[in-house]
Amino acid sequence: MASEIPVNEMIQIAWMGFFVAYMFYGQRLQIKIMLKEIEGSLFRLKLIRDRGRTIAISTIKEAGKTPEDLPARVDRILEHVDIGPVSLDPVGIIKRLEHIIDTRDFRFKDEVKLMIPEADETQQNNMTNMLEAALALNHLYRLVRHFYLMGKKTLSFYVILQLQMILPEVMKEAEASAGALRAFTLGQPIGDGIGALVAAKLMYGREDREIVKDVAVSEVPIEGRTAYVLKAKGPGGNVGKPGEAVKQIIEEKEGKIARVIVIDAAQKLEGDKPGEVVEGIGVAIGGPGVEKFKVEEVATKYKVPINAILIMQGIGDLVSTMRKETIDSVDNVIERTKRIMRECTNEGDHVIIAGIGNTMGIAQ
Amino acid sequence: MKAMEEPSNAARRMSFFFIAVVSVLLVLSFISLFQAVETYRRTGSPDLLTITLSLSAIALSSYVVFQMRRKPLKLGFEMPKVYTTVQCSKCDFKNVREFQKGDYILKAIAPCPKCSSQTLISSIYREVEGKEE
Repeated sequence: MASEIPVNEMIQIAWMGFFVAYMFYGQRLQIKIMLKEIEGSLFRLKLIRDRGRTIAISTIKEAGKTPEDLPARVDRILEHVDIGPVSLDPVGIIKRLEHIIDTRDFRFKDEVKLMIPEADETQQNNMTNMLEAALALNHLYRLVRHFYLMGKKTLSFYVILQLQMILPEVMKEAEASAGALRAFTLGQPIGDGIGALVAAKLMYGREDREIVKDVAVSEVPIEGRTAYVLKAKGPGGNVGKPGEAVKQIIEEKEGKIARVIVIDAAQKLEGDKPGEVVEGIGVAIGGPGVEKFKVEEVATKYKVPINAILIMQGIGDLVSTMRKETIDSVDNVIERTKRIMRECTNEGDHVIIAGIGNTMGIAQ
Repeated sequence: MKAMEEPSNAARRMSFFFIAVVSVLLVLSFISLFQAVETYRRTGSPDLLTITLSLSAIALSSYVVFQMRRKPLKLGFEMPKVYTTVQCSKCDFKNVREFQKGDYILKAIAPCPKCSSQTLISSIYREVEGKEE
């Protein structure tokens, strides 16, 4: 008879048992639950990493004749590590850092050339960028796996807690890298390239020259001033050395530059609208800081004021295919650039307009 | 890209721990509800507290089961809708089409069907669906 089963007593005993067990094993139970959650994210990260690798290999195969050991070559790039310069003696650290970055870039490009020697420069640049995105995914996965295994081994509540705290941000970053990889395989313009796009629109129809490697510059008359508009050379994935280009122009003109206007994409805060345009002062160039340093140095030497125009975007939008809201802000940015030139410089002055960012899918 | 379009079947897995917990909760709730009904039949007075608790537990377990439905994991490689805008450099001709591999901004395309001037790609963008920010 079902009515003879003392369910209420059973539940009470189970509840008391649970209470006593929780007193002794509460934290351990919590750790297990947290580890389970992290394990889920780690599993997802592994899937993203593996899918990224598969896509990278198949895209390179589609681009032309490839060597037989292609997967091994791709894996070698995915395991690549950068060793930063020693900072115990900071004198000349920027030059040393630049040298390491240059060596890395050349190495990556050489590797891609060896993989697809028949592909054109645009394709090779796109493939290099794609492999960088795949490398970022692999790095994220290995990092999370390291802390997960360390937490599991030590059962340290604080190691696991820290990992769990940063996990949403890590997953966002992984999704952004996946979006970047997707865009790079197809050569679509990414959100980060909005600065380059503004410069391209200003340069359109004008003669351009390669002032430094992978940076194109055009002389454009705007509002009665002469603007030196520069951007990375497209349409292949490229960021160039915009800082070096700005430095060269200022040095060529012996400092007779009325203003430098830097246009770049920036990460918005939660709640901000994507594609929102804001203005500021300073060098808006991201990355490790080498290019930013060069502009700051030369601008300080000749006392050239620097304005920044930023186009705000979410972390995922910065590296994935450009959103409509972002592309719609181009006219607004051009209008603001012209306004700054009218308000802060005189007719006949020389101005530098630097469109910063990855110029994938954007020519000039 | 074939690899990008493949569904993530490997991601479809459920926690056996949660299935076990929910199953035990569900069985206990039904037994408790059955006992409450039996008691009502025997005595004629309903045990409202037990009935409420059992129904709540059944509702809660059903909700958890609903939440645990097999959903394919989104990995971030899903292809969004990307459009290319082709514009004439002289007249007001404008054409929006789906992105094709090889498109890039400022690429010169075929002559304009209206005025035979050069048309070029003026923008490439993706439309964001839903509330993604």
